[in-house]
Amino acid sequence: MSDSTRKLNHVVIVPCSGIGKTYGTVSREAAYDVVEELRPDRSKLVALSMLVLGDEQARASVATNLVVTIDGCKLACATKMVQESGGQVARDFAVLDVYRNHRQFKPRGIAVLNEGGQQLARVLAEEIATVVDDVTDPSPEGGQNA
Amino acid sequence: MPELPKKKVGIVACSGEELPEGTVTRLAALKVLEELRPADTVTICLPLFLAGGEGDRAFARFYPTIALDGCEERCAARATEMYSGTPAASFVVSDLLADNGWEPIYGCRKLNDAGMQAVADTAELMAHTVDELLGKAWSRRSGSFIEPETATEPQDAIEATCACGSGIPVQEVFIEGQNVTLIALSVIFQQFHDAGKIPSDDTADELFDMVKIYNPIPDGSDKTYTEILLREYSNFCHKEEVAQ
Repeated sequence: MSDSTRKLNHVVIVPCSGIGKTYGTVSREAAYDVVEELRPDRSKLVALSMLVLGDEQARASVATNLVVTIDGCKLACATKMVQESGGQVARDFAVLDVYRNHRQFKPRGIAVLNEGGQQLARVLAEEIATVVDDVTDPSPEGGQNA
Repeated sequence: MPELPKKKVGIVACSGEELPEGTVTRLAALKVLEELRPADTVTICLPLFLAGGEGDRAFARFYPTIALDGCEERCAARATEMYSGTPAASFVVSDLLADNGWEPIYGCRKLNDAGMQAVADTAELMAHTVDELLGKAWSRRSGSFIEPETATEPQDAIEATCACGSGIPVQEVFIEGQNVTLIALSVIFQQFHDAGKIPSDDTADELFDMVKIYNPIPDGSDKTYTEILLREYSNFCHKEEVAQ
């Protein structure tokens, strides 16, 4: 496999860190779904607050891996901060767009999501997992950042 | 006085998703905002200090702010200070755990019982701090507390809000060779216009007196600021007339 097509072994997930709106909570739940349940071996979470502060380890993590961002509102803090930190965004998800495509899952609640919110997060997480599959090598020895 | 946001306490939580203590900050902040002091508090997402506009970056100067961090990295406190203003108070959950002998907490996504107790205790501590901060007068001009004998700001409270995207009203004005960000200028102009004040030397002096309540004016620059405020107000009034 050439360098240009060789796949990574990890994707970094950076969700919105918002605490004031439901969509922020959905973004966080989706991120946890991916890194804890769906693709725990091929994804890792980086906290947005660490990027805001310019933490070297967080910046290095986004700079050396493909990143999936999940934004809770149109201000797109997660995507902007990853780009500011020198990261390459493989795919930027907006919770509102996902909701538009799955209006049967209406999210409510901030501290605790309702059932609709949890289902919306799951749908989003599955879409993210597909991206993870596309850009990572599932074999234990594979990946250029192994 | 223009109808600016009333005095509240700003809360900035690190919200760190990688640590249980980050989840404590998020839930404790939310508890204060929604349950304990909804009329007295407002929040902003930490990343907006960089990803947002000047209005977002004015947050901690406009509101006395409590920074709540999960760990010793102190992302919320340090980033707030770097990009917005010095927090009026700050807490670190890992320190609170150690200092108070709380049980170890687990679960980034779903906290254990000790974690939920930490949320409740941290929220109570913050609510108490909110009360203390509201008892002091905060200068939006300098971003610091005013000594009691010169305190003049009202302490009215309105409903709680998330400040994301709304920001503080700010405007950039070119003064003495540089762009200067002035807080509340558009609101002040609108109020003057609504009151029927036409651009004049008297109005310019009034504008200057109002603007300097919210903005620091460099020594020796009063005349320059007054002239430029009159020019900007004339432009504002012209645009209003065209729009009508």
